[in-house]
Amino acid sequence: VTVLAWLLPVAVPLVAALVALGPWRIRGWLLSLSALPALVLGVAGPPTADVEFDWVAMGGRLALDGPSRLLLVGTAALWTAGGVFARRRPGPQGGFAPLFLLAMAGNVGLLLAADAVTFYALFSLMTIAGYGLVVHERSAAALRAGRVYIALAVAGEMAIFTGLVLAVSAAGTSELAALGPAIAGSDQRDLTIGLLLAGFGVKAGVVPLHLWLPLAHPAAPVPASAVLSGAMIKAGLVGWLRVLPVGEVALPGWSTFVIAAGLLTAFAGVAIGLTQRDAKVNLAYSSVSQMGIITVLVGTALGEPDAAPLAVAGAATYALHHGFAKASLFLGVGLIRTEADPRRHRLLLAGLSLAAVSLAGLPLTSGALAKYAMKDSIGLLPSGTAGLVTVALAFAAAGTTLLMGRLLLLVRRPVDDGPPAPEQAALLVPWAALLVAVAVAGWVVPGAVLDVSLPTWSAAVLWDGTWPVLVGATLLAAGTGLWRRWGVAVPAIPAGDLVVPVEAAGQAARTAWRRRVTPLAEVVAVRGRALRERAYLAVLPGGEVDRLDVRLTRWRVAGVLFVGLGAVLAVLLTG
Amino acid sequence: VTWSATLPMLLLATSLVPAVLIFILPEHRSVERLVLNLGGAVVKVVLASLLVLGVFAGQEYEWRTAFLPGVDFVLRVDAVPLLFVFLSALLWLTTTVYAIGYLRHDRNHARFFGFFSLCVTATVGIALAGNLVTFLLFYELLTITTYPLIVHRGTDAARAGGRAYLLYTVTGGAVLLVGIAWLHGVAGPVEFGDTAAMAALADRDPATARGIFALLIAGLGVKAALVPLHGWLPRAMVAPAPVSALLHAVAVVKAGVYGIVRVVYDLFGLPTADQLGVLVPLSIVAAVTIVYGSLRALVQDDLKRRLAYSTVSQLSYIVLGAAVVGFLSTTAGLVHLVHQGIMKVTLFYCAGNVQEALGVSRISQMSGVGRRMPLTMAAFTVAALGMVGIPPTVGFITKWYLGMGAMEASEHWVLAVLLTSSILNAAYFLPIVGRAWFRPPDPAWVDRPPRRGRFELNGWLFLPPLATGASVLVLGVLAGHPLSPLSWAAFIAEELFAP
Repeated sequence: VTVLAWLLPVAVPLVAALVALGPWRIRGWLLSLSALPALVLGVAGPPTADVEFDWVAMGGRLALDGPSRLLLVGTAALWTAGGVFARRRPGPQGGFAPLFLLAMAGNVGLLLAADAVTFYALFSLMTIAGYGLVVHERSAAALRAGRVYIALAVAGEMAIFTGLVLAVSAAGTSELAALGPAIAGSDQRDLTIGLLLAGFGVKAGVVPLHLWLPLAHPAAPVPASAVLSGAMIKAGLVGWLRVLPVGEVALPGWSTFVIAAGLLTAFAGVAIGLTQRDAKVNLAYSSVSQMGIITVLVGTALGEPDAAPLAVAGAATYALHHGFAKASLFLGVGLIRTEADPRRHRLLLAGLSLAAVSLAGLPLTSGALAKYAMKDSIGLLPSGTAGLVTVALAFAAAGTTLLMGRLLLLVRRPVDDGPPAPEQAALLVPWAALLVAVAVAGWVVPGAVLDVSLPTWSAAVLWDGTWPVLVGATLLAAGTGLWRRWGVAVPAIPAGDLVVPVEAAGQAARTAWRRRVTPLAEVVAVRGRALRERAYLAVLPGGEVDRLDVRLTRWRVAGVLFVGLGAVLAVLLTG
Repeated sequence: VTWSATLPMLLLATSLVPAVLIFILPEHRSVERLVLNLGGAVVKVVLASLLVLGVFAGQEYEWRTAFLPGVDFVLRVDAVPLLFVFLSALLWLTTTVYAIGYLRHDRNHARFFGFFSLCVTATVGIALAGNLVTFLLFYELLTITTYPLIVHRGTDAARAGGRAYLLYTVTGGAVLLVGIAWLHGVAGPVEFGDTAAMAALADRDPATARGIFALLIAGLGVKAALVPLHGWLPRAMVAPAPVSALLHAVAVVKAGVYGIVRVVYDLFGLPTADQLGVLVPLSIVAAVTIVYGSLRALVQDDLKRRLAYSTVSQLSYIVLGAAVVGFLSTTAGLVHLVHQGIMKVTLFYCAGNVQEALGVSRISQMSGVGRRMPLTMAAFTVAALGMVGIPPTVGFITKWYLGMGAMEASEHWVLAVLLTSSILNAAYFLPIVGRAWFRPPDPAWVDRPPRRGRFELNGWLFLPPLATGASVLVLGVLAGHPLSPLSWAAFIAEELFAP
């Protein structure tokens, strides 16, 4: 029975994916129920435990500890929410349900995996199935997003593969728990860390590896965007925390680098996101920014072994909070964009605002709790760094407020002639349930699983959480005022920012190649052929003889090649 | 004559006897031909399974008879040969089923299936050969019997492909012959497994030993499609799909690679080869081949041509595994003999099926094929992901072991080769998969009416790729099972590295 409880979270979505290929009309149920075994295991499973399967691949092990339980609960809940929303959505193209379920199996499973091979297998499953979710609409934009997604994903997978090979061979075992210490003491320490940081960084969306995120989110159907941002990008974080030598040695260089990358990501996400006119792109950049904030914690854990347990707990808490908030924002935006009824529109706007202020970290929201959970570990950094990071994170929160304000402005009016959406009303209930989770989860779940402290709401704590929001709100008001008064608008940056110049460069290179190199190669080939023919004719003129000669010459080519090769190798080897 | 001596001969007879009978049978006796083909294939699988059990139990099987003065004709069943025999037996069975379906509207069945069976006989002979002379005998037989299969269509292109094939392989065979003659001149008859003889030669005269090694590898390298000796392989893809499948997975190219494996492990022995310093050049050739093949595959629009260049690349994983000294890379190389076979056979079956059902042979016309032929493309997808090395397919198992082997041997550059090749594999396989599933149907085939009936196309054609495609996944997931190819390869490697 125990083994079953461990296998079902992965096996149920896998089997459901197969069943969903069939002609039966139960796809909706499969989508919304398949993540429940994972939820049950996360909620009711033993506190820490593991189970081994020696018959899979090179031996597989599943295990659960505090932080991964937290993420498992959040992930399973989000996939359930996404599944409920996906069942109502009649898609013109097939294939959504099976791919959604495969990605679910991978995402849930990688949280349980305790050995490198199982982890990598499930991570890849999620990545590959995720491509299908991104290109589901089959539009030109979706296919382009898919191209960028898969190119970065494959590069990431390869980096992870190499990093894992290095780590596992250093450790002599594929147990994930053994990899961190092994990397810490390995000769290839920096190479391994660099590969793993970059490989998982693609998934986590760290600048400049974030390029796929702002393209993929608007292209994918709303439920897919919700799980992509809410759950799947967290897999990158999980990878970092599981494999990197977190808490083993102090790596000040890497720590500074990762913290800097995290802060850059946090601010770049806000800055570029503000220029967007599509609400889903705005949310995608917000996810980039939020992952940057979590990345700062990874950097902290790499720098201060003592801070690692706190940082890991903080990162898991923040990931849970962000997952719920971002998923409800995506699903809410999906609803509000087709909502023509003013009353329901107001209701949706209110719900979105709740999730938005939670993301900004207004006191008493779960966002504030998550931000508070980060503080302890950051406080353990060298005092100068700690102060700098704290201030930077506060400004990042101000930026988040600004970005969320912009989002609400983007969707503030009901659409005049949106397509009729009869399923709209029925979805309000699950969405409201998700909002309850946004409000409550931060208060209940982390404390039940992890050793994280709830804040005592002193004046100082309240003020620390409030002023960034106030700054953000002021900036928003000022910006809106500027725009109203003088029409100063933000310059538009295309979604996917750096993708655009990269694509242009690629195109230019291709054109140049076609224009310059291809004709040149052709000229060389033609000239060469002519020369060779002239040479044959010089030796043996005449039709029949010539043809024979051509054949003989071909023979000779092969023969000479062989004798030559043999001779060269022999000379090389004896010398 | 004992059971253990006749068994190797019986293994040959299961395809030799059908071959002879098929040649004798008149063309129209198709039922009898079918029974002979399938019967032989099934009996061969049963015999191979018996041998597996026997060898696991420590039994020895050998057939020996005087052949040339001082040289015996030896067939011996060992752990290494058995890996190849088992692969050949299984894939011959599926390919026979496939070929029956593929050629059902064709003429010249007697000729085709006769040579087809001879081709497998030669392959099994190569597998079981106990010394180089026996090996060469079957190696040349394979060269000759494959030619009629490649030119089966009789078109100009087919004949041109066949000519290129003969040109290369006959020359390669000649070089191999010279190498073997030289070896016999300086060391007398040497049997596989008797590595002491070569060790002695290497001590006495390392230059000669290196020269012999170079000649043997150059001769075998033609069939193994080592760059720059690979030119025949992409041209030979004009052959009918079942022939391509067999050619790229088991018969011809594998014979070359298998020969290299035997020369390295069972003739010279790893320590001797390492001491001679011949493994480093070999691993460099393999690495160049891996990358070059992938680069060439990238620019092909013809599906079978792309698959052909992919074979060039993938085969050298086996050579690379053999050339890097260590337990893990030995395991990786040996197991890839099997893994590459089942992946590539699946890809060629699927390519043939798409051509057969929709008349599509160019990748640029494959848009939307997945909607029309979902199960065929599912099998293709699994095999293609395997080639890229995505877990839990067998391709991943190979790459993981190769990577770990590179680390074990401290040959870190191998890891870079692996990485480059995996990225290239992804770059030329994933676009096919993406196009087939996520693009609207191509005008080139969209007007063809879908086939009525249970299957996407004739069952003889439809089922083999599903079976082999499933095995790409199952053998990967169950790689830890004691009867998996991985366990078998590790068993061999353990014996090789036993002190």
